Amino acid sequence: MDLTPALDAELTGSRPRVDREAQALVGSRCSVCNTPSWPARAVCNRCGSAALRTEVFAGSGVLITHTTAHVPLAGLAAPYMLGQVQLDANGPLVFGLIEGLPPDADVPRSVRTVVSAEGAVPPYRFHDR
Amino acid sequence: MIDEVEVIGVGMHPFGRFSDSSLKDLARVATVQALTDAGIGTRDIDVVYSSNAMGGMLQGQEMVRGQAVMREVGIERIPIVNVENACAGGSTALRQAILEIAAGAAEIVLAVGFEKMFVNDRTRTLDALQSAADVDVVRGAGLQFTAVYGMRLRKMLAEGTIRGEDLVEVSVKSHACGALNPYAQHQKEVTPEEVRAAPMIADPLTLLMTSSICDGAAAVVVARRGALKVDRPRVRFRSSRGASGFTPLPEGQPTLSEQNVTAAYEAAGLGPGDVDVAEVHDAMAPAELLAYEQLGFCEKGGAGALLAAGTTSITGAKPVNPSGGLSSRGHPVGATGLAQIAELTWQLRGEAGARQVGNEPRIALAHNSGGWLEGESAANNIHILERIDSWT
Ligand SMILES: [Zn+2]
Repeated sequence: MDLTPALDAELTGSRPRVDREAQALVGSRCSVCNTPSWPARAVCNRCGSAALRTEVFAGSGVLITHTTAHVPLAGLAAPYMLGQVQLDANGPLVFGLIEGLPPDADVPRSVRTVVSAEGAVPPYRFHDR
Repeated sequence: MIDEVEVIGVGMHPFGRFSDSSLKDLARVATVQALTDAGIGTRDIDVVYSSNAMGGMLQGQEMVRGQAVMREVGIERIPIVNVENACAGGSTALRQAILEIAAGAAEIVLAVGFEKMFVNDRTRTLDALQSAADVDVVRGAGLQFTAVYGMRLRKMLAEGTIRGEDLVEVSVKSHACGALNPYAQHQKEVTPEEVRAAPMIADPLTLLMTSSICDGAAAVVVARRGALKVDRPRVRFRSSRGASGFTPLPEGQPTLSEQNVTAAYEAAGLGPGDVDVAEVHDAMAPAELLAYEQLGFCEKGGAGALLAAGTTSITGAKPVNPSGGLSSRGHPVGATGLAQIAELTWQLRGEAGARQVGNEPRIALAHNSGGWLEGESAANNIHILERIDSWT
C-alpha cells in the first residue's frame, strides 16, 4: 500500500473543517474502503490507505444519544446539551453541542448541522431538524 | 512469561482531599507501604514505572515527574520511566513493569501512581481533565467525563437494557462498599432517596453517582517468581493486556473493553465464569453496570438483574468493586489502576478487612480505562491475577 501521498497531505491547520454555505462538516473519505472521518486524516483508520479525498458531509444526521451537563466550563454556561450524531449519507459519527432540544428529548431523532461564525469555538453545533 | 510475574507488595496513600500534601508526600506513603509490604528496601528496586496524568498542568511538573517524586524516597540512578495514559495510566505503568520482568530485563520493579487534583481553582482541574481527549477535535465543545458516561447510559436507558432505578441501586452499593474501606474518599453510606435527590451533574447522573476530584497515590511491586522468599499467599498475573481506542465503525463492532477482555481471557485460558472478584472502571457508579456486560459477567440487558440478585455484592458469588470502586474509593487519575491491583491483592490474600469478599477468591480481574476518542475510551488495560496457594 502506497503511503507516500500522506507525506504531502495538506497541513492539518489548513484543511477545511466546515462548509458555511452548505452548513455542513467537511472531512475525508477513504477511496479504498469508503470510511469517513471528521476532521480529515492523512491515512485511513480502517484500511491503512493514504488515498483519501475531501468530502462535504451531509448537513443532517441522527442524534443517537445526549446528556445535559449541569457543571459549567470555562466559556460555557451550564446547563448545556451534548450529543453524538451519526451524519447521514454514510457520514462519520461526531460529537458536539446540541441546541434547542429539551433535556428529555427522545432519541434517535433527526438533527441538522449549524456552522458557527468564522473563527468561533466550537466550529459547529446541532439543532433540531 | 506473564505467569512468572508475581505481586509482592502493594500500598496506598488514602484517597481524598489532602491539601497540605504534595505529590512527593502522596507517592512517599504509597511507595513505602508497598516496599514494606514486600519486605524490601529502595535499593532492591531495579526499575520504576511512574504514572501521573495532570502534574504538568496542575503542578507545573511537565517533565521528569517520576524522577522528581522518587527523590523523596531516595530512589535514583535506576531507570525511572514516566507513563501518562489518562485514567488508565496506573495500569499502563503496571503492564510495562510486568513486561520488563517477563522480558528478563529486571527482577523487581515498582509501579507507582500519584495524582493531586485539588488545587486552588476547580476550573483548572476541569480544564486538565478535558485534555484526556483529542483537543484538536473537541476544543470548546464542552467535553466532561460525566457527560461521556451520561451519553453512554442514556443510550442504554433508551434501548431499555437498564432502568433508572438500576443507576440508583448500583450507586448505593458503591457507597456501602466505600464505607467499609479506610482508604476510600467517600466512606459514608447513602440511601436511594439521597442518590435520586442529589444535584444533577450530567443527565441521568446525579452527584452521588459520580467520582469526584481526588488526591491520592498507589504503588505495586512486582517481581519474577523466586526473586524473593514470600511467606504469605502468593499472587501472580495470568494476563496483562493493553489496548487503545478507535473510531467506531459505521456498522458497529464490539467495544474497546469487550475486545480487550476477550483477548485477556484468551491469553489466560480463562473466561468470565472463572472470575471470583473484579475491580472495574466506574468513574460513574452506573458504569459498573456497563462493565458487567462488557466483561461478560451477564448477557446484554442482564446487568440490572445481576445487581439486584446480589451476585456482585461483597457477600455475593462474584463481587465487583468491593473497594467502592472509582466512585467511592476515589479516582486520583494516575493512581487508580494501581489502587485496583492493591485492592485485588488484598482480596486474594484475605487481607481486606471489613470488606473482604466471602467467596475465597482465586481469580481476580482489573479493568481500567482512560480518556475519550469521541465514541470510545482512549486507553484500556485488563489484568487478571491468580492466588497461587490454596485457601486451606
Ligand atoms: Zn480505508
